[in-house]
Amino acid sequence: MSRCRVLISVAALLFTLQGLAHHSGAMFDDKMSTTLTGTVKAFQWTNPHCWIQVLVPGQEGPTEWSVEMGSPSQLFRGGWKPGTLEAGDKITVVIHPMRDGTKGGLFVSAVGADGKPIGTST
Amino acid sequence: MNRGRLSATLLALLCVSIVRADPNSAARVRTFASLPDWTGIWQSAAWPTDVSGRVPGGEEKLRSGLQLIRHPPYNAEWEANFQAGMQNTAALAARSATFKVCSRGFPAIMEAPWLFQIVVLPEETVLIFENQQVRHVYTDGRRHPPKKDLWPTRLGDSIGHWEGDTLIVDTIARTSEPIAPRAWLSVLSDGAHVTERLRMVNRNEIEDQLTIEDPVALAQPWRMALEFKRVAEMNRMYPFDCKENERNPVIDGKMTIATP
Repeated sequence: MSRCRVLISVAALLFTLQGLAHHSGAMFDDKMSTTLTGTVKAFQWTNPHCWIQVLVPGQEGPTEWSVEMGSPSQLFRGGWKPGTLEAGDKITVVIHPMRDGTKGGLFVSAVGADGKPIGTST
Repeated sequence: MNRGRLSATLLALLCVSIVRADPNSAARVRTFASLPDWTGIWQSAAWPTDVSGRVPGGEEKLRSGLQLIRHPPYNAEWEANFQAGMQNTAALAARSATFKVCSRGFPAIMEAPWLFQIVVLPEETVLIFENQQVRHVYTDGRRHPPKKDLWPTRLGDSIGHWEGDTLIVDTIARTSEPIAPRAWLSVLSDGAHVTERLRMVNRNEIEDQLTIEDPVALAQPWRMALEFKRVAEMNRMYPFDCKENERNPVIDGKMTIATP
């Protein structure tokens, strides 16, 4: 393989990583967006990532999705706090879904029951 | 002992302890007063992360701002090794798809996404990172330990001195791990020597002019300018901890999400 082709192929795989701080973002499909509308089951204010567990209603009962966010300090800077979400809150979340089909993805944006964006930065 | 004598004894002990308290010397106070004020919380300008933990604009935007992932100016022998490693695209792809970064060596720590505080003291300047790594730069006039007493560590051994408001840092004895995450093939020899010139450009920006010298690996000194931005919206540090609630296992060579 020529040096040029090697560099191009390495660059191509690197550009699928999404610029995440803590770990590779290759598992998330940044070309896809999925909108989840449901109820917050839990809001995990934890390191290395905060998580929103969302119950999305369906014909065979609710499905639980795991929405990965940044660290607590990254959320603070975006206007989020530990009490921003509580279990039972209605929420609509946009994510970049998992490539492997796992019910989860990377947080993109969220709006509350009032239709207003949650946090000041998405 | 009656209560009166006991009170008198305690008072005497208190007075003795006050007298024996070791106040800052006038010389130390003068030195402290002459040092710049770098208090606050700082972050590499290359990492304007959002609430998802990523840099808006994605990997391409991130890579355009990182200095340490650029191609080192290797000599012919080390360049050949670098290019040979680049041929193994499968290994590089696997590493890129599954890496996690919880701590860094030097100089990678200076271009990390983690917030940090700078504590400037007369004897040393301490950089405290939110991932709980601490870098000590001794400015009390000491030298590096003699070679026989020195061994490689991830952050190396750093001594420094002030030239006006600029902190000059000299670092040796770093481990020869990859120079930064995302630069898996960029390594230096055990003899790499790094010089930094840190100064506050304005109240919201500190620059770090960094020069890497490594006669074993590099054809010429490798110079770069790192930039740190003040994080004004944070009024305290929150520790970062990779293990508290780790939900990204690597299974069969692929990272995924574990349900709680």
